[in-house]
Amino acid sequence: MAPSPSPRKSSTSGGAPAPTARRALVLGGNRIPFARSGGAYAHASNQDMLTAALDGLVARYGLQGERIGEVAAGAVLKHSRDFNLTREVVLGSALSATTPAYDLQQACATGLESVVSLANKIRLGQLDSAIAGGVDTTSDAPIAVSDRLRRALLDLSRAKTVGQRLAAASRIRPKDLAPATPRTSEPRTGLSMGEHQALTTAEWGITREAQDEVALRSHQRLAAAYDAGFFDDLVTPYRGLARDANLRPDTSLEKLAQLKPTFGLGLDVPATMTAGNSTPLTDGASTVLLGSDEWAAEHRLTPLAVVVDAEAGAVDFVYGEDGLLMAPVYAVPRLLARHGLTLADFDYVEIHEAFASTVLTTLAAWESDTFGKERLGLDGAFGTVDVDRLNVHGSSLAAGHPFAATGGRIVATISKELHLRQQRDGGTPRALVSVCAAGGLGLTAILEAA
Amino acid sequence: MTDTYLELVNGGLTGTLAKKLGLPRPAPLRRYRAGEPLLVGPVLVLGKGADADAVAAQLAGPWDLDVHRHAHDARYAALVLVLTEVTHPDDLAAPVLEAAATLRSLARGARVVTLSRPATDEDAPAVAAARQGVDGLLRSLAKELRGGATGNGLVLADGVGVDAPSVLGGLRFLLSTRSAFVDGQLLAVDTDGGSLPDDWDRPLAGRVAVVTGAARGIGEAIAETLARDGATVVAVDVPAAGDHLAAVANRVRGTALQLDVTADDAGERILEHALQRHGRLDVVVHNAGITRDKLLANMTPEKWDPVLAVNVAAQLRINEALLTSGDFTDAPRIVSLASTSGIAGNRGQTNYAASKGGVIGMVRATAPLLEAFGGTANAVAPGFIETEMTARIPAVTRQVARRLNSLQQGGQPVDVAEAVAFLASPAAGGIRGRVLRVCGQNMVGQ
Amino acid sequence: MTDERPVVLLPQVPPLGGSYVRGVAAGGRLAVERRLGRAGASLPALAYEVAGVRPDAEHLTAYQHHVGESGSDRLPAGFVHVLAFPLATALMVRADFPLPLVGMVHLANRVEQHAPTTLVEALDLHAHAENLAPHRSGTAVDLVTEARVDDRLVWRGVSTYLAKGVRLAGRPADDEPRPSFVPPVPTGRWHLDAGTGRRYAQVSGDRNPIHLSALGAKAFGFPRTIAHGMDTAARTLAAVGPARGDAFVWTVQFAAPVLLPSSPSVRVARDGDGFGVDVWHARSGKLHLTGRVDPLR
Repeated sequence: MAPSPSPRKSSTSGGAPAPTARRALVLGGNRIPFARSGGAYAHASNQDMLTAALDGLVARYGLQGERIGEVAAGAVLKHSRDFNLTREVVLGSALSATTPAYDLQQACATGLESVVSLANKIRLGQLDSAIAGGVDTTSDAPIAVSDRLRRALLDLSRAKTVGQRLAAASRIRPKDLAPATPRTSEPRTGLSMGEHQALTTAEWGITREAQDEVALRSHQRLAAAYDAGFFDDLVTPYRGLARDANLRPDTSLEKLAQLKPTFGLGLDVPATMTAGNSTPLTDGASTVLLGSDEWAAEHRLTPLAVVVDAEAGAVDFVYGEDGLLMAPVYAVPRLLARHGLTLADFDYVEIHEAFASTVLTTLAAWESDTFGKERLGLDGAFGTVDVDRLNVHGSSLAAGHPFAATGGRIVATISKELHLRQQRDGGTPRALVSVCAAGGLGLTAILEAA
Repeated sequence: MTDTYLELVNGGLTGTLAKKLGLPRPAPLRRYRAGEPLLVGPVLVLGKGADADAVAAQLAGPWDLDVHRHAHDARYAALVLVLTEVTHPDDLAAPVLEAAATLRSLARGARVVTLSRPATDEDAPAVAAARQGVDGLLRSLAKELRGGATGNGLVLADGVGVDAPSVLGGLRFLLSTRSAFVDGQLLAVDTDGGSLPDDWDRPLAGRVAVVTGAARGIGEAIAETLARDGATVVAVDVPAAGDHLAAVANRVRGTALQLDVTADDAGERILEHALQRHGRLDVVVHNAGITRDKLLANMTPEKWDPVLAVNVAAQLRINEALLTSGDFTDAPRIVSLASTSGIAGNRGQTNYAASKGGVIGMVRATAPLLEAFGGTANAVAPGFIETEMTARIPAVTRQVARRLNSLQQGGQPVDVAEAVAFLASPAAGGIRGRVLRVCGQNMVGQ
Repeated sequence: MTDERPVVLLPQVPPLGGSYVRGVAAGGRLAVERRLGRAGASLPALAYEVAGVRPDAEHLTAYQHHVGESGSDRLPAGFVHVLAFPLATALMVRADFPLPLVGMVHLANRVEQHAPTTLVEALDLHAHAENLAPHRSGTAVDLVTEARVDDRLVWRGVSTYLAKGVRLAGRPADDEPRPSFVPPVPTGRWHLDAGTGRRYAQVSGDRNPIHLSALGAKAFGFPRTIAHGMDTAARTLAAVGPARGDAFVWTVQFAAPVLLPSSPSVRVARDGDGFGVDVWHARSGKLHLTGRVDPLR
C-alpha cells in the first residue's frame, strides 16, 4: 500500500458518510394451518406445533443441519415448563443443534416483534440469517393451582421441621385444589378484550352490518387465496388439517347476521360483536425466514421483501381515554412521518383483524378530522385505506388468531404478495402491517418488495 | 407393511410346520445397504467367445469378484450366462447344462443373469431361434429358483458391446441386492449411451432429482434411495400431504415443494424451484399416482378423469415444459411409474390401466426426444408392493396377491426405488423408453 | 396533636377480633341503656395512640395482592387505614361510646395522603371520634385516624359511620335528596368472588361477620356476604394507579353494599386534575360507591 501523502479524507464531500445498515430480507415463511380451539390440535403442545412449523420451513428451504444465526419465537399462553421453548423447538427440529434461540413475548404482537427484532440484528450485522416465529394454543393452555395451594406447597417444600411441614400442609383446604385457569381479561380493568373492543366499537358508532362485511370479505379472500394455490408454499399441513379450520368459504351476510352478539353483554353499550365478526380462540404456529442479501444469495433464496422499519405504540386504555386496541392508530402516523410517507403511498395495508371492528375503528380514527387534529396532532384526518388494498388475502377473522403466530402469518403472506406484485408490475410495492395487542399495545411495520 | 405369513413360515416352530405341510415358503429377500460388496461368494461366468471373456475380465478385474469360468464344487453367489454370440439353438446346451449342475448349491439370494441379443426379423432364422430361446429359458429358470434367488437377462441390441455403460450398469444392478424383487425380466439395452459413475455407491452424486408423490410409500422410498445414491432431492407432493412431505425432505436433506402436479404450470414451477434452489435439474421421477377403481360398466367421469389427469396427463405436460425449457439438457433422465396393471390389465382398473399403459407409451416416445442431450426416459412397473395403498386390499385377496409371483411375496417400496435409481443413473443412458418390471416375476402379463 | 383531647398511649395496636366480641356485648348493653333513657349523647373525649408501629412486609404484600396494588414498598393509603383503624375500633367499643359498633354502616371515607410512607418507616398512629351528628336514618359519627412519621403528619383518614335507627339529639339539618345515578360507559369490571370478604378479613384483620359467612351476613339482614367497603374503596385507588401521585385526597361515598359474588362495572376516568370513580351493579345499574382521587396541594 502506498504511503498517504495527506491525512485520509472521507469518501464523501459532505462530512461523515451516513451509516448504511444492511437490508433485512424476508426470504420465506411457513405455518401450520390454524385450528379452532379444542379441534385438530387439541392435544398438541406449543412445542409440538412450533416444531412442525419450523420443520416445514426447513424442508421448504433445504435448511437441514444448517446453523441459523438465531431463532426467536414466543407464545402468549405459555407453560412454566416451556421456559426455553424456542431453543427446545430448535433442538427438536432438523436445524443444526448449534443454532441459538431465545423466547420473547409481546402479547399478540409477539410474532411481529420477533420479525422486527431479528431484522434489526441482521441490519446491524449481528446476524446473517434468522427465523422468527410464534405459537399459541388455547386447547393446551397452562392451568395453575390456586394461589393458596401454590403458597402452601412452596412453603411445604421450604419447611425444615416436621412442625413447619404440618403447619404448611394444614393450610390446604379442599377448595384450594380447584385449578385456576388463566384469565383472558385485562389485569387492570377486568374487562375481556372483546368487552374493551365493544366499548371502542360503540364509541365510534361502528355498525353490526359493517363488521359483518369485513368478516365476509376476510373469509372470501382467504378462501380464494387457498383455491389459487397462494398458500401452497406458505402453509404445511399438520395433524390432518390442510387449511385453516376456521375458514368458512360459504359464509354469507345472511348467515353472519343470524349470529347473536357475544361481547359487550352487560355493558351499557349496543352489542354488535358476534362470533362471526370476532376471531375465535385458535391454535397454531408460524415461522418467517429472514436473512441478509449475501446469505440469501449463498443459499440461492429469492428475497421476497425488505423489513424497512417498525414502530411500537401503546395507549392509556385504563381510564377509557383510548380503546384497548387503538395503539396502532398512533404508532402508524409516527412511523410514516419518519419516512415521509402517507397512507396513500402503500400498495397494501394489513390490519390484524382481532375483531372486524378493530379494523373499522382504526380506519375511522384515521379518517376523522377531529381525531387527526386533537389526538394525532395533525392538520386534519390522517388518511383513508380503500378495501382493495386492505387485507388482500383475508386476515385473522377467517384464518383464526393463535396470538403469537399471527405476526408471522401476516409477514409471510404479505411478503409473498409484494414479491408477486413486483414481478407482475415492477416498481417497489410497499406494505404497512399493523397488529394490535393486549395491554393497549400495538406494533406496526413497513415492508417493501425486495 | 409386515407380511406375517412370510415371517411365520420362516420362523422356528411354525417354519417346520409349514415345511411339513408343503406350504409355499417364500424366502426373506436381502436388500441393499450402502457400501456393501457387490457379491458375497464366487461368480460363475459361462459362455464361449470374446464377449464371455470380456465380461469375466470385467468382473474379475475392476469389480474384484471371485470369477470361475467352469463349474466347481462351490456355492455360487451368481451365474452369468453370456449368450450374445449364440447362432443356433444347439449353442445353448453347453452353457445351460453346465449352469444346471450348480443350481442345487446356489447361495441364498443368488443371481442368475443372461446376456443375449434380441431376435429380429432381419436375423437368420437359426440365430433368431437361439436368441429368442434365451427368453423362454430365462423366464422358466427364474420360476425354478428358490431361496430368494432371481433370474434376469440383459438383451443387448446389435452393435452394443458387453462393455457398454448400460450393460455394465445393468449387470451390476441385476447382480446386486438392489434388484431383490426384480425377477424373470429381460431388460433391453438399446445403445452404448450413458456413462459409468466415478463411484458405484454414489452414482447420482452432483445430480438434482425431482420426485413427485414423495410424501409417502414408494415416492418416499424413491426420495430416500436417490438421496442415498448422492442426489439432491426435490420432494414434490400435493399441499395436503405437506406435513409428510416436509418430514421426507428433512430426512433426505432436500427441499419440499408443495405442488399439485396437475396444475397447468407444474412443470415450470418444478423447474424454477430446482434451478433456483439447486442450480440444475437432471432427473424427474413421475411417481405421483392415484387409483379410483370401478368396473367399466359403472365408470363415471369423476372416477375416470382424475386418474388419467394425475397418472399420465400431468406427466406429459411436465415433460413438455422440461423439454422445451432448454434447462433439462445434461444427460437428463425421466423415470415414470407404470404398473403391471398397465401391461396385463386388471379387473376394475380400466382407468388406472389406461393411464399406466399410457405412461409406457409415453416413455417410449419421449426417450428419442432426449437422445440428443444424452438423456433417456424409462418406466418402472411395480407388481404387488407392500404399501399403505395395498394394505387396504381385503386380507385374503392380499395374501393371494402376494403369492402370485416367483418370489411368493410382495415387494417393498425400496425395491421399486432401487429400479428407479438405476434407471436414473448415468449408466442407464443406453436404455431407451423401456419398462422395467419390479414384480418378483408376477404370473400375469409378459 | 391537633386537638386538646387527652391521649391514652396504648402499648400496641389492639387486635380487632376481640373488639367485635366486646362490640356485640356493648351493643346489647347500649340497647338496654337506650330503652332506659340512660344512653350517653356525647363521644369519648379522648384519643388513642400507639407509637412506633412497624408494618410487616408479608402483611403488606398480602394486602397489595388482594386489592390490586403493585408490590411497592410504599404503603397504599388503604393499608395505613388497616394499620390505624383498630385504634378507632377500640374507641368504638368503649363503654362510653354512644353508638353500637355492630351493625354500623360505613357511609363515607376520606383520606389525605400528605406524603408517601414506606415499609421501613415507623408510624405513630392516632385515633379519635368526632362529629356526632343526626342523620336522616340515624346518627352519624366520624372516626378520625392519623399517621405520623417523626412528628410529621403523613396520612389522615376520616371514616363516617352511621348507626341506623339510633336517634340522638335533634333532626338532620341537611336532608338533601341524593342525586340519581345514570351508569356511564364503563372502563372496567371487577370479578369479586364469594371468598372476597373472607380474604379481605384476613389482610385487614377486620373480622366483621357480615363479610365472613352467609350466616353472619343474614344475621344482619343481608342475603349473602358483602364486600368490605374499604376493600372496594381500596380497589378504586388501585385502579387509578400511579397517576394519583405522592400526595392526594381520596374520597369515597358508599351507596349500596356489594353482595358477593359480584362482577360490578367500574369507571375510572380523568376528571379535572384528578380522577372520578364509580362502581355499580352491571345489570341493574344501581350505584355501589362513588369517589374521587385528587392531587393534594
